[in-house]
Amino acid sequence: MIATFVALLILGLLWGGVYLLMAEGLNLIYGVMKVVNLAHGDFIVLGGLVAFSLFGVFHITPLLSFPLAALLLFGIGALVQVGVLERITVTGPEGELRTLLATFGLSYVVANASFLLWGSQFQSIPYMQGALQFGAVAVPEGLLVSSLCAFAVALLVHLWLTATMTGRSVHATAQSSLGAAACGLNVRRIRMVTFAIGSAMAGGAGALVIALIPFQTSSGGDLTVQAFTLIALGGLGNYLGAWLAAELLGLTEVFTQYYFGSDAASAVVYAVFIGVLVFRPQGLLGRAGRV
Amino acid sequence: MTRKDTTRAFAWAGRFAVTALAALTFVAGGAPAAAAAPSGKPIKIGLSLTLTGPYSPPAVFELQGYELAAKEINASGGLLGRPVELVKYDDQGNPSTAVQLYQKLLTDDHVNLLLSPFETDLTSAVAPIVNRAKVVMMCLAANPGAFRGQYPYLIQAMTLTSRYMVPAIDLAAAKGYKTMALLVQNTQFPQDLAKGIRKEAARKGIKIVFDQDYAPNTTDFSALVLKAGATHPDVIFGATYLADAEGIMRAAKAQNVNAKMYVFSIGPVEPQFYTGLGPVAEGVFGTTLYFHTLKTNGNTEFVKGFQGMFHRLPDYHAAVAYASLKILANAVKKVGSLDEAKIRDAILNTSVGTVAGHFQVSKTGMQIGYSSYALQWQHGQQQLVWPKAFQTTAPMLPHPAWK
Repeated sequence: MIATFVALLILGLLWGGVYLLMAEGLNLIYGVMKVVNLAHGDFIVLGGLVAFSLFGVFHITPLLSFPLAALLLFGIGALVQVGVLERITVTGPEGELRTLLATFGLSYVVANASFLLWGSQFQSIPYMQGALQFGAVAVPEGLLVSSLCAFAVALLVHLWLTATMTGRSVHATAQSSLGAAACGLNVRRIRMVTFAIGSAMAGGAGALVIALIPFQTSSGGDLTVQAFTLIALGGLGNYLGAWLAAELLGLTEVFTQYYFGSDAASAVVYAVFIGVLVFRPQGLLGRAGRV
Repeated sequence: MTRKDTTRAFAWAGRFAVTALAALTFVAGGAPAAAAAPSGKPIKIGLSLTLTGPYSPPAVFELQGYELAAKEINASGGLLGRPVELVKYDDQGNPSTAVQLYQKLLTDDHVNLLLSPFETDLTSAVAPIVNRAKVVMMCLAANPGAFRGQYPYLIQAMTLTSRYMVPAIDLAAAKGYKTMALLVQNTQFPQDLAKGIRKEAARKGIKIVFDQDYAPNTTDFSALVLKAGATHPDVIFGATYLADAEGIMRAAKAQNVNAKMYVFSIGPVEPQFYTGLGPVAEGVFGTTLYFHTLKTNGNTEFVKGFQGMFHRLPDYHAAVAYASLKILANAVKKVGSLDEAKIRDAILNTSVGTVAGHFQVSKTGMQIGYSSYALQWQHGQQQLVWPKAFQTTAPMLPHPAWK
């Protein structure tokens, strides 16, 4: 009984880490640029499929593909920002709608390009499928490593944002693009770096997660919705909030699945989401009035 | 004769031999006509399939099965002396597109006969308009819904859902396994599968000790599998597709949940099941409606012809598609005209061995002949292991405990 409870607790926390890993990039981009990147899930899938091919052809494990996929998506992200998003006026409510439409279109481009390269079948990588056994409690290796990576990435991004000059410029741009530009910061470059890093986080996440969840080229939409739910729950753009939200979702899902059945799990997850939005519309740790 | 010409001549001779052999072996419709080249206005056979998008790979297999059958029919003199022509469209898996395309096939293209879109949902969507037009449609849809008499012009040319898992349950019973945990995706096809599994398990004296549904977008199976494992079932059965079958096996391995036998409906039949799971896929059972080693009527020639034309082994979608067009063609030959009602009656009275097994339908067009087979991943290869009469090798049971 206790063992089951502990096992569920660990599984919930670890799955929370996986969800966090998949949402961090979206959170960064939204936090700084107020752009909801609807192609985020497709970036994750692309990173995953790149890792799948690296594994299939060169036997490169997902842990090594993680930086490679991240690097590739960093490049793609930078190109997208410079080539597409930077050319769209993003001020005012129509601006948000425009970027939304642009990234929506982008998601189709990425998904269909992946389809041409990889076809549409579900793919996955047999990697770290074992578990560390502690008495009666098994801790799945794959989940553990993905979670640790999620926390490491979160920590690194946090350090980058708070302790480096570039990071602080990113913060400044997030608070006021106009103000930052007036202080002489190159906001275009900062937006490019931010979007590229956010995309890289998606690509890296995909490389690890494809060893846990099979991806097909059309999986991106679901992943975007899941990631967006998570960051909305945490308070859009809030990093600690996203982490709390991820753990809340992971635990809710695992415990509901066990005690109330899997059918109920997704319903309960969204009931929690709606509940939070009703009582704390700004999200768990979001600040009210922040647009 | 240059060397290139010689090679070409041999290739032609080979192709001719294959075609001739195929024509000779397919005796269901009587002796093949002396292969006079078909002439005149082609007989149009219309279809739309999911040729692009996430569900396209099996549908492409179906199309290739039809194309091979059409090629062979034309090579052996066509139908009623006329060539057959496939009029095909891509519905991208969208039911409303499929409806528009079948409307177009019927009113614009004036097709003579029809083949169904891919699987149950799309077939159900086009069923009313096809039936209203009174055009015979061979349907590759496993769900029994459309074949209970409501749509007399629809013929089911695929194994009935409830029969999919029968061989695997039979094997479990033969091994003396007594208890089963059943995990079911809560969408139409797996739900129908599960009904068949419950019935057959009860018949074979296997007790279902755990029976739970999960949502199709579930990615985390850890708690579900943990709970199923707590009932210590002899066998774990999944009414699944590919991604969820993988998720369940991954969770079972990672959480050390052991059973003597793991069986999934859709999933293990796909090669991606093994590339995705590697060693964890070893020993897992799946279901198929056809296997390339089967000694069914004309199968050797079918496999050879298919490989020659498409450079890969046919899967079950290709086999049932090929068989269904052949059956349709033979019915037309038997009737001697394009009288739809008579063609339908001829198919209802058909009882014949095909590459996919024995074809027979009820008076309402429901498939009662075709069965299914259990396969198992052994040393990285799919083996047909049950029923015993068809096995390529013996099943490896029980599944060893996870190390």
